[in-house]
Amino acid sequence: MDRRCFVVGSAASAAALSLSPSWAQEAYPSRPVTFVNPFPPGGAVDVVARPLAAVLEPIVKQPVVIETKAGAAGQVGAQYAANARPDGYTLLMHITSISGFAEVDKLFGRAPKFTRADFIPVARFIADPMLIVVNDQQPYKTLKEFVDDAKKRPNGIVMSSSGLYGALHLPMALFNKAAGIELRHLPTAGGGPALTALLGNNSQVLCSSIAAASGQLKAGKLRALASFGGRRAPALPDVPTLKELGYDVEFYLWVGLFAPKGTPDAMIAAWREFSRKAAAAEAFKKAMGNVGQDVAYLDQPEFKAFWDADAQRVEAAVQAIGRVQG
Amino acid sequence: METTLDSLLLGFSVAFRPDVLWYAFLGCLVGTLVGMLPGIGPLAGISILLPITFGLDATKAIVMLAGIYYGSQYGGSTTSILLRIPGEAASVMTCIDGNAMARKGRAGPALCIAAVGSFIAGTFGVIMLTVIAPPLAVVALRFGPPEYTALLVLGLIFLAYMSTGSLVRTLLMAALGLLFGTVGIDVMTGHFRYSFDIPELGDGLGIVPVAVGLFGLGEILATPSRQVAGPVHRPRLRELWPSRQEWRQARMPIARGSLLGFLIGIIPGSAHIISSFLSYAVERRVSAHPEEFGKGAVAGVAGPESANNAASTGAFVPMLALGIPTGPVTAVLIAALLIHGIPPGPTLVADHPNVFWGFVASMYVGNLMLLALNLPLVGLFVNLLRIPYAYLYPLIIMFCVIGVYEVNHSIVDVWIMLIMGVVGYALKKFKFDPAPLVLGLVIAPIFEMSLRQSLIMSDGGWLIFVQRPIALALLVVSAALLALSALSFLSARRDWRARLAEEAADS
Repeated sequence: MDRRCFVVGSAASAAALSLSPSWAQEAYPSRPVTFVNPFPPGGAVDVVARPLAAVLEPIVKQPVVIETKAGAAGQVGAQYAANARPDGYTLLMHITSISGFAEVDKLFGRAPKFTRADFIPVARFIADPMLIVVNDQQPYKTLKEFVDDAKKRPNGIVMSSSGLYGALHLPMALFNKAAGIELRHLPTAGGGPALTALLGNNSQVLCSSIAAASGQLKAGKLRALASFGGRRAPALPDVPTLKELGYDVEFYLWVGLFAPKGTPDAMIAAWREFSRKAAAAEAFKKAMGNVGQDVAYLDQPEFKAFWDADAQRVEAAVQAIGRVQG
Repeated sequence: METTLDSLLLGFSVAFRPDVLWYAFLGCLVGTLVGMLPGIGPLAGISILLPITFGLDATKAIVMLAGIYYGSQYGGSTTSILLRIPGEAASVMTCIDGNAMARKGRAGPALCIAAVGSFIAGTFGVIMLTVIAPPLAVVALRFGPPEYTALLVLGLIFLAYMSTGSLVRTLLMAALGLLFGTVGIDVMTGHFRYSFDIPELGDGLGIVPVAVGLFGLGEILATPSRQVAGPVHRPRLRELWPSRQEWRQARMPIARGSLLGFLIGIIPGSAHIISSFLSYAVERRVSAHPEEFGKGAVAGVAGPESANNAASTGAFVPMLALGIPTGPVTAVLIAALLIHGIPPGPTLVADHPNVFWGFVASMYVGNLMLLALNLPLVGLFVNLLRIPYAYLYPLIIMFCVIGVYEVNHSIVDVWIMLIMGVVGYALKKFKFDPAPLVLGLVIAPIFEMSLRQSLIMSDGGWLIFVQRPIALALLVVSAALLALSALSFLSARRDWRARLAEEAADS
């Protein structure tokens, strides 16, 4: 969010206080809408939310303000949105990991700060299957070679991740469980450092999004062994899916739009319509293509079903990792 | 070499296009401003302007955003020197001697030296970037967790050179800083430490709120309790420019700072923050008059200011040559490239020579612009000091609050800053120096993480620190420094620090 938006946003909230009794009579939305981005600028949500906001504004006919509330791997922003007034003017964009926080809290015996029930899914915009990548100093050409070697020396191969229970850790934990292998986990401070560790051969394997790895794959610094998608990614037709290779594992890095619990149905319906139009816009497709993503739009019913299934995967992954003794 | 020259010519042909030149200027201007405003660092500045660049082409976008980044390193020195408020984390060290110079009526020379040092360091960084970026980037990749750990051990040893006061006081402050640095989520196990159920504390205490609070607010809070109605120092034009002797004192620190800063800057991770701290410690270690530091030593401004500029340029090496982010700022820049459909990676130079070389060339131009922008402003800025405190300080507090809030939109950060302001006031009253505290806070999380990462990599074996050549070399340097201190201790020669402590005790 920039200063200008900050001013607009404050003005909007001030307006909200004075106008709130009368909003029901007006066309919705009658003032700027805030999308909470729970990750740092330029992060996974930002690169989707900014172009989305740009195509949404002419559809919604109100400014769509991106408000960055980064912290604690997306937890701070999600909690902020969960506690926001459900008046249809504060929405949340979040990723796969939104399902994991409550499960992690449960693992540690903490009261969850929010759960999935605090949010109403509205639409999903992209879903990028994850990749298993190794660096060019490793001998593995196929996933089978990798798994065989990992079985020979349990806890001998180092995998880096964006952080414990993070979006790059969860899929790898699911795969390890499915393949019956044990890797040594090297948590880092984010997706960038995790990739740096892999390139410097301080770790040997990483679970990465296609977008983050594409430049290195093209240069031959990294090799993709498998993808977590339901079918092969159009950008990487030679990389087999885990399902093809006999592992029943699927995992996507997706970005979706949520509303706080209690948001009136009419407003949710309005945003479903806005989202459908925006996802179909050429400008949005082009912007997503630039960051190496395909628009994978899902309307609320499908998104809800997808999210429920996805949350089970995430929860299973958190349980597979368990509580780390340190 | 010839191809490099050809490519650079191509780059300049891009960089001198009027529209590109305009955006480079805009970036440098905004960078100077965000560097100056306390609390708003380069990251916030770039984030604020990122959406605006969506409508531009990739070259203009990256030229402007990068301008904000290295421009902010110029601007950061201004408030540090004049008001003892660090504009961003890298300027903390400049507060000490820069502000001491200002108090002696040498604010103008301090600002000039900072600007010229930044210019030399920035240009040096760009030249290195032009000539040896790709091979250097490969070396940078070998800088893994064990090397980081060793570097930070060296940093901890240098802590002893941070402060003017007694060693005990310095170490006390450093220990407090290290303790503050443990606040947050334990990245290895997911436990919250000292977070008191405040999720924002999960990311730890931010360096900017702590530094702004300790130095800036602490200073302001302490003002009413002493005589401030002293004569206003009206600088004459001649006094704005450094004397010949001051230039001489600045020469070597600028050279050392440039080299040190660049080398630290290319290391992926957050090492660039410690470049100015290390430079300050190095200058003090090699200085013939270490007792002058803290009382307005020219080297204490020239070294760190050069180092942070060279480091910001060095950070572009792994970003451009390998496509990996060295820190939060370069991560945003990479995202900016991505958004424009240019995937950063090892093939960036070959695939998009216009963008790469245009960007590099624009940095030569940008550094010149910044010098032209900053030197004439020195006179204007010095006049800031003429504003009566009663008007100036409330304004500064307001800017600090807005700036600190803007970084993460976190009210918790504002509270941290305010509390640290009170702490800073108390420290000032009891004559503790906050600089080691800030360095401790900077080092603690990186040190803890890299140490534990190293031990994960080696499966618990400590030998990993001596098996890797870079780590071993850094540890040997640390050991040598300790041995040297021990030697002077054994030979019962009291060093400058003991003398200083005694003087302080006497007075």
